[in-house]
Amino acid sequence: MIRVGIPQALYYYQYYPMWKTFFEGIGAETVVSPPTNKDILDLGNSRAVAETCLPVKVFFGHVISLIDKCDYMFIPAIRSLGEEAYHCSKFLGLPDMTKAIVPKCPPILDPEIDLNKGRRNLWKVIYSLGRHFTFDKGKIKKAVEEARKANLAYRNKMSDERITPIQAIDGMHRSTEESDFDSHVAPTLSVAIIGHPYVIYDEYINHRLISRVEAMGARVFTPEMAHRKSLEIAMARLIGKPHWSFEIDVIGAGECYLEAKVDGIISVAVFGCGPDSMMIDTVRHRARECKTPFLFLSLDEHSSEGGLVTRLEAFLDMVKRKKKECPPTTSPYLSNDGRERICV
Amino acid sequence: MRVGIPHFGNVYIPVKGIARKLGATDRDLIIPPPTSQRTLNLGVKYSPVEACLPYKLTLGNLIEACELGAEVLVQARGTGICRLGYYSRNQERILHDLGYNIRFTHFDVSHHKIRSFLKLVKNMTNGASWPKIISASYFGLGKLFALDRIEKVVHKSRAVELEKGRANQVYREAIGAVDEATGGREVRGVTKKYIDKLNRLPKDPEADPVKVGIVGEIFVVLDPFANMDIEMELGKLGVEVRRTMSLSRWVKYSLFLNGLGIDEWKEVHKVAMPYLKRDVGGDGWESVGEKIIHAREGYDGVIHLAPFTCMPETVAQNIMPSTKEDIPVLAVPCDEQMAKPGMVTRLEAFVDLLRFRRKRRRI
Repeated sequence: MIRVGIPQALYYYQYYPMWKTFFEGIGAETVVSPPTNKDILDLGNSRAVAETCLPVKVFFGHVISLIDKCDYMFIPAIRSLGEEAYHCSKFLGLPDMTKAIVPKCPPILDPEIDLNKGRRNLWKVIYSLGRHFTFDKGKIKKAVEEARKANLAYRNKMSDERITPIQAIDGMHRSTEESDFDSHVAPTLSVAIIGHPYVIYDEYINHRLISRVEAMGARVFTPEMAHRKSLEIAMARLIGKPHWSFEIDVIGAGECYLEAKVDGIISVAVFGCGPDSMMIDTVRHRARECKTPFLFLSLDEHSSEGGLVTRLEAFLDMVKRKKKECPPTTSPYLSNDGRERICV
Repeated sequence: MRVGIPHFGNVYIPVKGIARKLGATDRDLIIPPPTSQRTLNLGVKYSPVEACLPYKLTLGNLIEACELGAEVLVQARGTGICRLGYYSRNQERILHDLGYNIRFTHFDVSHHKIRSFLKLVKNMTNGASWPKIISASYFGLGKLFALDRIEKVVHKSRAVELEKGRANQVYREAIGAVDEATGGREVRGVTKKYIDKLNRLPKDPEADPVKVGIVGEIFVVLDPFANMDIEMELGKLGVEVRRTMSLSRWVKYSLFLNGLGIDEWKEVHKVAMPYLKRDVGGDGWESVGEKIIHAREGYDGVIHLAPFTCMPETVAQNIMPSTKEDIPVLAVPCDEQMAKPGMVTRLEAFVDLLRFRRKRRRI
């Protein structure tokens, strides 16, 4: 069977189940790189230009680790996933950057996804991608349909059960299993962690942020745990039409959880992220208006665990004190009537 | 209505020209003081830390325009992939927080450019008649073309002049003269006069200028404050500069000829194709292509200017080293931390390298 390599970085967290279903449907096998570790980071870091942002460097590391394990590398160039909302340039240049930086990379499958050009174009792109594996048009069509369903099921699973993509993909708690944290503390606070999926869920980049915050006695909410619809509504209210496809993960989630009255918001971004530098400012401004504690964590390959822990502890202490001083007046439990309600 | 604009190279000259022709006074069009350290400090103080340099500089300009009493601010807008589309949204909020009661109006740089340009002029002048607007625009854009024509000559004469600094002096006079010209004929006359003057400057007979191409993100390439006057510094080192990108070229193609299906970058995109297959927003694609073109045309080196953390240019930087066409590239990230002595040292080292390479090639 033809093996298709999928690096466990960037889009992986959002689309892996969909891609897996699709490639299996057309008779290919997917190979995923291991979770980020020091070797992977060093490999990517040593080849990319210094100014490149951390997740992209990590991505190159994952590609390098997959070199001999697959026949094709799947790196889509995603231009747009919505009407006139675009992806960051680095996502578009990803296949070509990989080719330049990792010359030994197996042939790259780089469909250009641009929903602005309409469904017909999308189908054409997917069809020419499927042609690498099968000439059976019906088979491709069926695989696409199944992939669409798998994606929907995956999204719903995350928002219904309020779990992270990693839990949804593995079907288990990867972090707590090998974690040395005491996760039996009953949560007393609710904290929203907002940012791009590839930053929030890559435990090596963010030093196991989610488990850490949970161990400090907070219930964590991430953008994937809210319903897509409520994020969209929140985003439309705050800024109207989005400029970037992933604005929903930052501004949408920020506004949505602010309205749900979480006790604190942690916004995680990597140093040098162009879109984040603009978007987070909007959320910060809103958080100030709502008088919600807001922590901005900027990560890069030099960020140390110690510094991060100190900042988290200080932040959660502040959140706790604020909660004691002015107890919130929200209603008791989670409801999913289009508006997220959060309480612990 | 008092309109304020941000600075972007010499763009204020044609804007002023258009406004004057349509009867606007100094009260109607507020041109903030030339970009200075104060502008930068203001911009840095009120911007998000990781915003790019053009954002910070234009915010500084707009704050200074507000201080002078601007009520309506003009900012570029586009649905491209880079941050530009976000500028006005954030800047408007920041200025409101600072207590300025202002309104933003936009100039679209990605779609319907000519329409948005004309509409902007119409709105700003309270509905002047179309023939008047068109003749004023013709006059204003004429100034822009004149400036760029003079600049092209300066790029050459700076490198070979006998007495360093003369060409620059003449160039500065020329900018002033074009700015003050009141009629189309006068603009043309002034242009001719100064081009002649530049060409007649005494030349160093032994000069053997190194040829360097400047590529990169349009704002930092065209704004002398943002790139610390890199062209002048290169001129001092005896380097002839070629810069394909210019405002007049942008106006000529983006406003007019692109609509007719003529793409000025076609050749550049074609040579970049094997390395970068698609437009990545901003000027990333063009940077890669231009590097290759400069290498093929026998230039000695390329200087790649980009704002620090610029997304499209980072893509270009990652791809550039892998091209088959070999040419030294000096990447200069521009941000508020940049200091002139540091940059000059880097340029000197780079030019030394190019001279050395050239000598070796001749042997």
